[in-house]
Amino acid sequence: MHIETDTKTKIKNYIIESTFDDVEKIKDDTLIFEEGILDSMGLLFLIEFLQEEFNLTTSDEELVVENFQSINSIIAFIESKM
Amino acid sequence: MNTTRKPFSKDILHIENIETVCNEIISKLKTDVAKKLQRRGAVIGISGGIDSSVCMALSAKAFGPKKVTAIMLPEQDSSDDSRILAEKLAAKFDVTDTIVEDITKALDGFGCYQRRDDAIGRVITNFDPLVDKAKIEIKQDAASNLPPAFSVTVIKPNGDIISKLLPVKEYLQIVASTNFKQRSRMSMLYYHAERLHYAVIGTPNKHEVEQGFFVKHGDGGADVMPIGHLYKTQVYQLASHLGVPQEIIDRTPTTDTYTAEQTQEDFFYQMPFEQMDLIWYGWENNYPADEVARVMDRTSQDIENIYKNFERKRKTTEYLRMRPIF
Repeated sequence: MHIETDTKTKIKNYIIESTFDDVEKIKDDTLIFEEGILDSMGLLFLIEFLQEEFNLTTSDEELVVENFQSINSIIAFIESKM
Repeated sequence: MNTTRKPFSKDILHIENIETVCNEIISKLKTDVAKKLQRRGAVIGISGGIDSSVCMALSAKAFGPKKVTAIMLPEQDSSDDSRILAEKLAAKFDVTDTIVEDITKALDGFGCYQRRDDAIGRVITNFDPLVDKAKIEIKQDAASNLPPAFSVTVIKPNGDIISKLLPVKEYLQIVASTNFKQRSRMSMLYYHAERLHYAVIGTPNKHEVEQGFFVKHGDGGADVMPIGHLYKTQVYQLASHLGVPQEIIDRTPTTDTYTAEQTQEDFFYQMPFEQMDLIWYGWENNYPADEVARVMDRTSQDIENIYKNFERKRKTTEYLRMRPIF
């Protein structure tokens, strides 16, 4: 539980720092690409962040909306890789 | 409010009065170059591709072939076909002032090839730029709900293919390196344009302009863009009408940027032009997704996702179309 909270905080902080968006705008289930919070370059930088922070490698096949659409999806994706 | 618009159909982009449309473009080109820009002719880079071919044909008709200078700008990765087709095009439209400027050494000086190959080599460690061919491509479908990510593909001499998702640093370095190509071409075109007191004719079509498939201050650097408002399929229609050689019309549009053969569809558009043109038209004219889906034989959800993809591309590439802010 602590690990999940910590991961969530890191991801949320990363998105806020890289987009300069308000913290209130980004909820755990906000559709970050649909809402235009991150764009295509944002996705590439997010993948890099996941690699550097969690040593998580993303393959072509894993680049699907279900893995990246929200903070909750990203958490589930990270957990599935552990 | 437009209450009389046509029902969406596969023929909706077909130009009925092609002669009139061509004459209007030619007339505007003359006014823009002679009156607004106050230049006495046109310089155009020709690649053997459909867009530059149509622009050259229009320029030759607007200014007369003697007032058009056609420049071929090959470099070490260019296909030999490009030059052969470009020469055939110039001959067809009686443009005799043709110049070949090989920009390989300039690109080498910029470190274009080295910087690109270094980035590829960091991702695919056994990449040998001397014998392997490489390209970058988008593997996701345009109807995916996620923004596209790029993969690098290396083709070994024995035909083995290695492909990996590009990390952001390497992706950006590859793009920044290869953009030297378009920017060097732009510099050379302006050298000749200034030498002759001519205008530079830009060749991007509507999709390239609006989806941002051009290099800022590269192929996006020009004085006038005569086909910047035309869909790709309409450019083909003009090509046939103007008499562009059939080999050019039949050729699959490539980027002519990477060592491996790469179509524009693989690299950027993610779908064939015939589909993209129509769906783009539907999107920008607010046709409901289900109406477009019925005609295109796709699901409404697919069309909704492609609409979102277009919206995202236009927004993401706004920077490319922006003038300096002051």
